[in-house]
Amino acid sequence: MKKLKAKLQALKKVDYKKAARDFWYGKPHEERRLGDLYEDKTGLYKHREWRGVKDTLYYFNNIWLYNYAHMVTDVVKGGDPVAFLKGTLRYRWMGQTYLTVMHWYDRGMEGMRGEALRATAWHYRAMTSETIRQFTRMFAADSKLHGGKKNALWYKTLAHDETVSGCIFYPWRDVIDDVPLQMVPYFVSVHVNSDTVLHYIDAVQSIGLPADPCPMCQAEAGIFVLDDYPDYSPLMVTTNEACDGSVATSILQDWFMNKPLFAMPQPMRFDDPLVQEHCQREIEECWRFIEKHTGIPFDWNQYVKYAERYNQLTAFEREKWDVAANSPYYPISGVAQALYRIYYSQDGDRQIWHDTDKKVRRIMEKCVREKIETFPKTRHRAIAWSCAPLYYSHWCTWAYNCWGINCVINMDSLMFDQDLRTDTYEHAIEDLAWFNEKAPMRAMAVGGHDHIFQLWDYMERFHCDMVVMYDQLQCKGMQGIHGMFEDEFRKRNIHAIWVPHALPDKRTVSRGEIRRIISDYMTTVMHEEPLDPSLVDFDDSMSW
Amino acid sequence: MRDLKHLIKFENLLLEANNALVRQAREEGKLALGYTCYFMPEVLLDLPGCFSVRLRAPRSTSPDMATYYMSSRTCLYGRCLLERALEGGFNFLDAQLATETCTVTCRFQEHLQMMNIIQNPKFFCEFIDVPFKKTPNSYEHYRRQLQAHVLDKLHEHYGVDVSDDAIRAAIAQHNEVCRLVTAIGEYRKLDRPTITGFEFQLIQLVTLCCPKYLIIDDLRETLEELKTREPDDRPGYRCKVVMAGSENDDPYFTKLVEDCGALVVADRHCYGSLPGREEIEIREGETPLAAVARHYLDTGMCPRFMEQDVMRSRKQYLADLVREYKADGVILEQMKFCEYWSYERVIDTLVLPRDYGIPVCSIEKEYVNGSSGQLRTRFQAFVESIEIKKIQGGVRG
Repeated sequence: MKKLKAKLQALKKVDYKKAARDFWYGKPHEERRLGDLYEDKTGLYKHREWRGVKDTLYYFNNIWLYNYAHMVTDVVKGGDPVAFLKGTLRYRWMGQTYLTVMHWYDRGMEGMRGEALRATAWHYRAMTSETIRQFTRMFAADSKLHGGKKNALWYKTLAHDETVSGCIFYPWRDVIDDVPLQMVPYFVSVHVNSDTVLHYIDAVQSIGLPADPCPMCQAEAGIFVLDDYPDYSPLMVTTNEACDGSVATSILQDWFMNKPLFAMPQPMRFDDPLVQEHCQREIEECWRFIEKHTGIPFDWNQYVKYAERYNQLTAFEREKWDVAANSPYYPISGVAQALYRIYYSQDGDRQIWHDTDKKVRRIMEKCVREKIETFPKTRHRAIAWSCAPLYYSHWCTWAYNCWGINCVINMDSLMFDQDLRTDTYEHAIEDLAWFNEKAPMRAMAVGGHDHIFQLWDYMERFHCDMVVMYDQLQCKGMQGIHGMFEDEFRKRNIHAIWVPHALPDKRTVSRGEIRRIISDYMTTVMHEEPLDPSLVDFDDSMSW
Repeated sequence: MRDLKHLIKFENLLLEANNALVRQAREEGKLALGYTCYFMPEVLLDLPGCFSVRLRAPRSTSPDMATYYMSSRTCLYGRCLLERALEGGFNFLDAQLATETCTVTCRFQEHLQMMNIIQNPKFFCEFIDVPFKKTPNSYEHYRRQLQAHVLDKLHEHYGVDVSDDAIRAAIAQHNEVCRLVTAIGEYRKLDRPTITGFEFQLIQLVTLCCPKYLIIDDLRETLEELKTREPDDRPGYRCKVVMAGSENDDPYFTKLVEDCGALVVADRHCYGSLPGREEIEIREGETPLAAVARHYLDTGMCPRFMEQDVMRSRKQYLADLVREYKADGVILEQMKFCEYWSYERVIDTLVLPRDYGIPVCSIEKEYVNGSSGQLRTRFQAFVESIEIKKIQGGVRG
């Protein structure tokens, strides 16, 4: 009886108007307590976030259900569902990540509403779609899944290092499909399930590699050590991008793959006018290598077609930067901006990027037209610099929800800022060389200090008042200039939060540790209170 | 064995970068030109009126200031060089001719550019871009880089004569030093070598770190001495090894190995002579600069070369050295945090025993080898394992 009375009393105190408003629109940012949704350690949700009627339905229907359905239909469209099944069972990076994809969406879009939710989701959708396209092609051509036989697709698929841009292969795009070898096994998988890649790192260390080289290179090499790479191409194109570790990894890859390999190194001092010709000749030698090993000639018209289409993507990217830099109406979250940009610019022109940009353009134009503040609780506009923690690329979603830090732009997004002229062959090769040289880490991590210190210009251009300085503990290029950054931050009176991490290896610096470092800075230096206190401290150490 | 006459002198010269001969050359009006990597051809820094100094930071301890700038997670070689520079130890330099060939030495040299460390108003630091392949495209690129960033800059800043004749003269001097060092090194090939690895490394390092014209007579004398030098009746070593790996300018590290019973008969590492002391040949119709560019790319055995055949041929090169120098095994040493050699060491450690039957001792070391006790244990165990193999082989035979 007492309990009933107490409940009635409590019900009397309820503000029904507010409850209805919360139900319809979702709770205000400060009352959400998103941290209470998590299961301890795994980070799984006790129940889904209520974002208001419209956004909850949108999320469930247009994001969750829509993408799950597409993850089935895209595979079927790939034409070889049996190879998909075999690949899922054969490759660790496939078997462990396919069904965790939607949790990756959930982590990345937590707390988002309205147009930000929609635009961000389309970016995720595009990346998922392109990933499926890549692995279905790899599996369809993979001799390991076809009893050791090399089928017709094997001869028509081209393997390249994930840091070689897909633009290099435009002259063959209609007849040969170029698929970056480590993009799905390493890069995508670490985002979707951060546990998977650890096995590869351990594998390469088990044959004697020290623990200190770049863990990205270690993980990529570990895939070969464990024979966990598909054999889908008669050749391999590799590069020295981004660093010494990438060069050195080629040695191991070559040893395990044992197939014709072309190294297409990029110059280190790329803004030296004298290096351009050398870089152009390297690209041409690569093209000759492909011709020689595939028997299919270089096709200028195909290059022109795809380069011009790619220029449309670049043009829209610049429009996006313009909105991001000069208004609060930019609807793309920090994590979607970074991942989508690095994915499509590395991959090169694909129809899915155009379809996505069309949808995102509509959303962005609506935001600008109607002056919709997409991240209204922004306290700080941050730029993220250097290479990001792949196992916690969605840190910026957390940082906004918890502290109002809006990561407006990041280093990886600013790469490949180069139009590809197609009026003459000379212009084309000149621009392609430049494009290639403006790869992310080459341009801003290991290609000379001038480029790294472009940070100050970008801070100004994007109106940022804070730097989230990624401190990749095993990146020799960035570690080697650490003190200079410290000096400059002090001299320029810039708020910079150093975020240590080990790229794909969450064991070195956990997600929780990254959050603690940011939260400590926000309380002890900035003297701010969290927007959502439930997000300050939680344990997701066992999360995907 | 009888002591070599100039050995103590050589050892003393290596105790500091700004040694007596460097000071003497500067007093004579010569320009001191620093560099760190084989890909900055020393011969071009030895043009008339100049002398090359491959930078070292001997007697380094804890590089605290450099660790602030470069963190504790970069190779100690780069950090010790920066520390020495910050301490004023490289103020004698008139220029640093830099390469972005490995990340940390690049960063060290960028600090020289950015921080006004070298207290010499005319000092400048200039970088070249070094190709990763040995192709005609790479030769030409490298030649142009050397022209623009080394020769033109030296001429522009100091009026150095960079004509073909001047380069030819530098090549002639360089080749003489190479001939002498190679001839001295030949004594390591004997069944009972009459020079130790430690002695040879002192000689090799002196040729890299001192003005050549001031040591060439000593080299000649040393070679003469070696012609009549007799090996000890009872060898002071139990096996012979090739030392291969990354940066190693520490003769006391070689001494440590030799104290454990392994005579170092070949030095295939940065600052070593294999490769490094091959003569430069100017071919018919080739300019001296083109010959220099081709030579340094062709002879380079750095793991940064990426062509498939070059990557693979490096294993064969090492195996050939073992055979040529009658070594019993290879010590693969890698400076901690050196990414190139991390991978190269791993693959060599797997391939040499498996494909060539060569025993390997694979170690990671620091620039400052404070942990010599641990290394000593590793080397002693390696020597014993080779001895056991020999005994077992003898029994079987």
